[in-house]
Order: sequence, then C-alpha cells, then structure tokens
Amino acid sequence: MYDPLEDENGQPRFAVSTGDMSWNKTGSWRYMRPLYDNKIPPCTVGCPAHEKIPQYFAYVKDKKYEQAWHIILEDNPLPGVTGRVCYHPCEAVCNRGDYDESIAIHNMERFVADQNLKHHIPQSFIRDKHEETIAIIGSGPAGLSAAYQLTLLGYTVTIFEAAEQAGGMLRLGIPEYRLPREVLDKEIEDIVRLGVTIKTAIRVGRDIGMDTLQRDFNAVLIATGAYKSWGMNLPGEELKGIASGLSFLKEYNLTGSAPIGKRVVVVGGGNTAIDTARSALRLGADVTIVYRRSKAEMPAVPEEVEDAQREGIHIRFLTNPVGFSGNGKVEQIRLIRMELGEADESGRRRPIPIKGSEYTIDADQVLLAIGEVPDLDFLPDSFKLKKDRLLVDHFQRTGQPGIFACGDASTGPIGTVVDAIGTGKRAAHSIHQYLSSKTVHIPEEPTDGVPFDTLNLDYFQQESRPQERQHHSTQLKGDFNEVNLGIGEDDAVYEANRCFSCGTCTYCDNCLIFCPDVAIRFDVDKHEYVINYDFCKGCGICVQECPRNAMSYEEELKWA
Amino acid sequence: MSQKLIKIPFEEYMSPGSVACPGCGGNLSMRYTQKALGLNTMIVIPACCWSIIDGPTPSSVNHVPVFHTAFETAAATASGIKAGLHAQGKDDTNVMAWAGDGGTFDIGFQALSGAAERNEDILYVTYDNEAYMNTGIQRSSATPYGSWTTTTPNKKERPKKNLIEALAAHHIPYIATASVAFPDDLIKKVEKAKSLRGTKFIHILAPCPPGWKTPPEITIKLARLAVETKIFPLFEIEEGWRYHITHESSGIPVGQYLKPQGRFSHLTEADYETIQRDVERNYKILKMKEKMSKEISAMD
Repeated sequence: MYDPLEDENGQPRFAVSTGDMSWNKTGSWRYMRPLYDNKIPPCTVGCPAHEKIPQYFAYVKDKKYEQAWHIILEDNPLPGVTGRVCYHPCEAVCNRGDYDESIAIHNMERFVADQNLKHHIPQSFIRDKHEETIAIIGSGPAGLSAAYQLTLLGYTVTIFEAAEQAGGMLRLGIPEYRLPREVLDKEIEDIVRLGVTIKTAIRVGRDIGMDTLQRDFNAVLIATGAYKSWGMNLPGEELKGIASGLSFLKEYNLTGSAPIGKRVVVVGGGNTAIDTARSALRLGADVTIVYRRSKAEMPAVPEEVEDAQREGIHIRFLTNPVGFSGNGKVEQIRLIRMELGEADESGRRRPIPIKGSEYTIDADQVLLAIGEVPDLDFLPDSFKLKKDRLLVDHFQRTGQPGIFACGDASTGPIGTVVDAIGTGKRAAHSIHQYLSSKTVHIPEEPTDGVPFDTLNLDYFQQESRPQERQHHSTQLKGDFNEVNLGIGEDDAVYEANRCFSCGTCTYCDNCLIFCPDVAIRFDVDKHEYVINYDFCKGCGICVQECPRNAMSYEEELKWA
Repeated sequence: MSQKLIKIPFEEYMSPGSVACPGCGGNLSMRYTQKALGLNTMIVIPACCWSIIDGPTPSSVNHVPVFHTAFETAAATASGIKAGLHAQGKDDTNVMAWAGDGGTFDIGFQALSGAAERNEDILYVTYDNEAYMNTGIQRSSATPYGSWTTTTPNKKERPKKNLIEALAAHHIPYIATASVAFPDDLIKKVEKAKSLRGTKFIHILAPCPPGWKTPPEITIKLARLAVETKIFPLFEIEEGWRYHITHESSGIPVGQYLKPQGRFSHLTEADYETIQRDVERNYKILKMKEKMSKEISAMD
C-alpha cells in the first residue's frame, strides 16, 4: 500500500518534523526581565492606618465578606466606626479620581464591617504569647487600636478609662446619627473578647497614680485624647449660656439630654463644630455656625458640611465673634466680617478682620468648638510638651523609658479617628520592640503609591461612583437615627470591580493571554503566575499590558 | 479572586521556543487562532516569517501537521489537502492556509482568488505585518501609505490594497478582520469560520517590532490603536455583502498610532491630516455598508 510518508525503502519521502521547539531555550535572547511585583496603592499610603484596600476588595468581588473583614482587621479593629466617621484621605489620593470619580472606599469599609456584625474577631489572630503586661490610659480609638495590636502580639493589656463607658471620643464626641452605638459597642466587645481588660470610671491621677501603673506594668501607653477646649478670651465669655461644644456633646451623649437654647450659635469649622450644630438642631434649636474662613478652608468633612446645610443650619462664613453681651446670661453675640490674606503655617489663607464691619445677632446659647488640647495634668512635669501635646518621636516614645503616647494626646498627625488608630498601631509595634529588647520588624510606613500614569487605562471604562443612601427626616427634632446608610451589596461588588487595584494583581490573565511565546502559566496550587525564563524573550508585553502596574521590567544583567 | 477582562480558551497548541522576534504579533496570531481550531487541523504555510518561526526540520512549534509550501501556492495547496482529506472521508479536519501579507496580497493572490471563486472549503488567514519582513522589510501591496521600507526609502506613495473588498467581490461565506489586541474577538471569528463550509478569509493585523521600528512591548498597544483610530476597524462580511462592525472604534487621532512607529517618523502634520482624512472617509464607507446591508436584510 502507498504510504504518503515513507518510500518502499522505509525512508521519508520529504522532511517530516519529529518534535517541537522546546529544545530551543529562547530565554538566552533576553536582556530585559519581566517580573511580578505588587506595589503599594496610593489609598494604602493615604490611609493613616495603611489598610490594604485592594486586597480586601478582591474578596468583596467574590462576596467573601468575612475574609475581606479579616484583611481590614490586620490594620484596624474598628472598620464599622471608621467606615462611618473617617474623613477618608484614601479617597482624596485614589487614582480613579484622576480618571472619573474616586472609589467610595469609606462606604466599602462600612459595608464589609456591617456584613460581619454577627462575627467576632477570631482568637486565632493572636500570633504569640508574652509574659509582659501593658497599661493603656484611655479607651478611645488610639487606645483600642494599640490594645488590639498588642493583644495580637501576645501581650496582656489593661485599659484605664475615666468615663463610665469605653470608647473615648467615639462615644462622648461623635453623635449617634453618625455612629450608632450598637456598631461601636460591637467593635469594642470584639476587642474585649480577645482578652483586653477595660477598667471604666478610673481616672489616672485621681483614682490611680501614674507611678502605680509604672510599677505594676511593663509599659504604659498614654492615649487620653484631647478634651480641653480652647477659649476665645473675648469680653463677656464668662456669661451663662456660653460653653464648649464638646462639653455639650459629652453631656448629651452620656446622659441623653443637655440644656439647649432657642437660638444657638456654634463657633468653629471643624468636625466638633458640625457635630455640635447638628446635635443642637436635633434638640430643637435654631442653629447658626460662625466660621472665620470660607467653606474651602473648613477642616470638617465636606459631606458633613453639606448635610448640615441641607438640614437647615445657617453657616456664616468669613465671620468671627468679637464679644458677647447679655444680662447675666448671653443674649447677643457681636460679630466681625473677615477677609482672607496670605497663607499661614497650616497652608490655609489667614483670615483678617475687616475694619468697621461689626454687627450683632441674637443668641441665647453659644457653643465654642474652635479646637481642643489634651489634659495632661496627671503627668509629672518631666514630660516634654509641644504645643500642649506630649512630644513623641516616630516610634511614639515619650523619652521616658517604657512610657509611650499616641492619638490626640501626643504630637503627630492632625487628630482624627483614623490618625489615632494609625498611631495606636505604631505604638503597639514600638512597645513590642521595647519589651522584647531586640530589633523587631516595625512595619514600614509606605511613602510612594503607584502613580496614575503607570496604569494601563485601555482596560477601563468611565464609570460613575455609587451614591450613598441617606435617611432624610421631615421631623428632625428628636431624630438621632443614622443619616448615612451606606451602599448595598450590588454597589459594593460594582465598586470593588471598578477599583483600579493599583499595583495589586487581580489575576486578570492579561500577562498570560498576551505572551507571544507561551512562556507564562498559572500555577493553580500556588495561585500565582509563573514566567518560564527558559523561553521568555523579554519582549515586555506582559508588563505593558498589565492594567495595574503589578509587574516590573528589569535589566537582565542585574539577575546574572 | 480573579477579575478576567478577556476570556480565551485555556488549551495551548503551540510549544515555546519559536524563533519569532520578541514581541512578534504573528506568533501571537497563530497562538490565538489555534486555540479556536484545536488539534484536528492541518496548516499550510507558504514562504513567510512563519516558515522560519515554526522551527527548522525536524522541529515544529505547532502541535498539528504543518505543510510548508512555495510562496504563491498556499491556497492551492490547502485546496489539495482538503480534497485529499475529503477523499478519505475526513471532512471534519480544518485546513488552514497561513500566509503573510506578501504571500496573500501579492504573490499568492492568484491562487487565493482561484480558491475563493471555487469556494474551496478552507480557512485562509493572513497575518499582516505590512511588508516583506522576513527578507528585510521590502514594501508589499499591504504596506500603508506613508510607510518607510527598504524599497520605499522616502515613503510609500500608494495606499494599502483593500484586499477585504477584493475578497468580498468573490462572494465567499465569511470574511473578517481581527487584531492581536482583541484576542476574544479574534478567537470568536475563527470559531465562526470553523463552523462554516466554503472559503473563509481572516485578515489579522500583526505588528512587527523590527519592521515597524517599535519597541517590542508596545505590540498590543499599537494593534489596539490601529483599531481605535479607525485605521484597522474590526468587522466581518457574510456572503460578500452583509457587513457587521464587531468593535466600534473610538476615533482616537491617527497620530497616536503613527508617532510611536519609526517607519512613520518622517511624516509631517500634513501627512497626518491626509491619513486622518482617508481614514475617516473609509470608516464612513464601512459604516454605510453596514447600514445598507442591514436595510437590505430587513427587506428580505
């Protein structure tokens, strides 16, 4: 029979291939080497607690909310709190903001936390066991964050709290319409369940001495916050009806009632001012905020300012009080108009009074919310202060052996909940370093996030940011129900997918799909891509087509 | 934990170790095409880059039989192989002629036209790198207007041959353009061609880093820009008259595609304007053909 391949002598009739080309190790051609190289996204850099945002988004995409929560918990034990009240600096630096709209990261965090209200932090998170004990003064976000991290590191932690209940400013300062107490209670309970002891109604300096703590514990962390309000030193400030906004909030939040006037003026432009004004509004007052700069300079979260104005609070911008008058009780407040001059050391334009622009409005209650400083009277004079705060170094050390400080009580970032959580975490690692008397790994502070122009935008479409649901009351009086209601599951999954995931591989397969040389495969067991450097010619298509800058390209000589 | 942007079949029918240049669009074209065709396939390759890429005897990167043949004979050889398979009752085997632009637009055009007119049951794919790259970058009739090649040292003065329209004039069942930047679209088109009897023709634009004078890593970027600038729109033609655009080009200015390429580095703003005008007109014609074929379909 005729054989098309062989002749009658068994020889091939024409050249026939007998094998493939895998003997030809084209990797020797390569002078540039691609590699998988996850990088830090700008949101993680921008977050003072350095939450691993794209990593937990990866679980949200698959609706694995418990795993997503566990990723957040590595850096922040209070996501239900921060998802609601954080000023979200992460969103300000989000690369998506340069493209269409930044990712609603705070709503994502809140969504993940709310999906886990019935779960508790697993005991398996505790990684080690140490004999040493640590005292923490203050159970606000800074103290709780440090206590949590130290517990995970294996230490025994006792928190001393002056108030009747734990939570610090989260409970005393932040109103319920922004932070429902069941969320706060749940997250504090989770930390207590891990083994943290919180002793409430014990004020250090009154009920127990600093020296006792130093004697009984191996380290002490001062996380007492900033509760002493600034005064204005204006004529008539001693009149009845003039008080600090924070003391008003404290009284209402602890007891459920506070004296309230009919025409209330709140002075200040920070979050305490907005919280004071919106709480006073809910108690039935007619509320005006007086702020000496313009809206752009307000330190309060912009969304909160919008909400306050929507609810009917009148804000007089570029206005400052110059005095108060009344018959034993404040009746009138004298104001002066301001204009903005050169930028001051805070980078904001300095307000300058306009001569002769003074006028008077009626007020039967004035609440001052122009800033707070720590009350550190319980400490001996040997502690160094800077601008009324405890001076600490990068490792949250006070200079006194074994005594650390974090949060608003110490110098450092600008005093928000997430700053407190971030410094608390750093203090915990620093105390661990101190107690183990050896060099321990203090997680580095990331500085550079993946830049926008290194992403491959060919793989993204313009998509809008989901709108947060809100509870709008027709009858605000007495309504302390939560105003912001977050986003639903569909929006959360959509938002997780909308995220650029800067610098973090999402296993999109682009590298593998576009490799002309079949030199990349996915290792299912290790769940990672593997480049076969025997064959990779170093064309760099995989690096170029990675949408997220999760690969790098290096000179081959470096690897020789 | 994964977020797929593009989905293509997992199976590979090519070994690594091919001698294609780094960043070769032609190599990638073959990898995708074979994912759609599978193992029951025979490939005919006339003289072109792929004569070399496939490997020296007795090796072949392809896991299916490859028949190397003379420059002008791809379509004729494929027709013969198909007839041989038919005689053996093996009608389900795919026979693909795989040729470069020289072997298709120029030297192999007579055989291709003949096969298409007879409606031979073959798939003919041209991976078009817009010049005779394998022999050292000589112009072909697929080289676009304005391009430098060794035989057009100033610039090519004539436009690229519209081979798709020439094939449409043969009334064959299926014609499509495809791009290595859109692998899912490419694979879908090959799958569709595989499902049809008669002559199928697919035109893949395959960027060539050495011939286009571009860095190898931007191969996909360029292929995508060619589509998005409307220079190389993605569409298909059924029965020679039913037009269907498979990806609406976003209309990025042509300069973004031309500027990164060394072969166009001598072009002036006036040249860009000429090219832009031609591109807009051609895309308009294509859009009108699509509209017209829809209207004619609705009348039937």
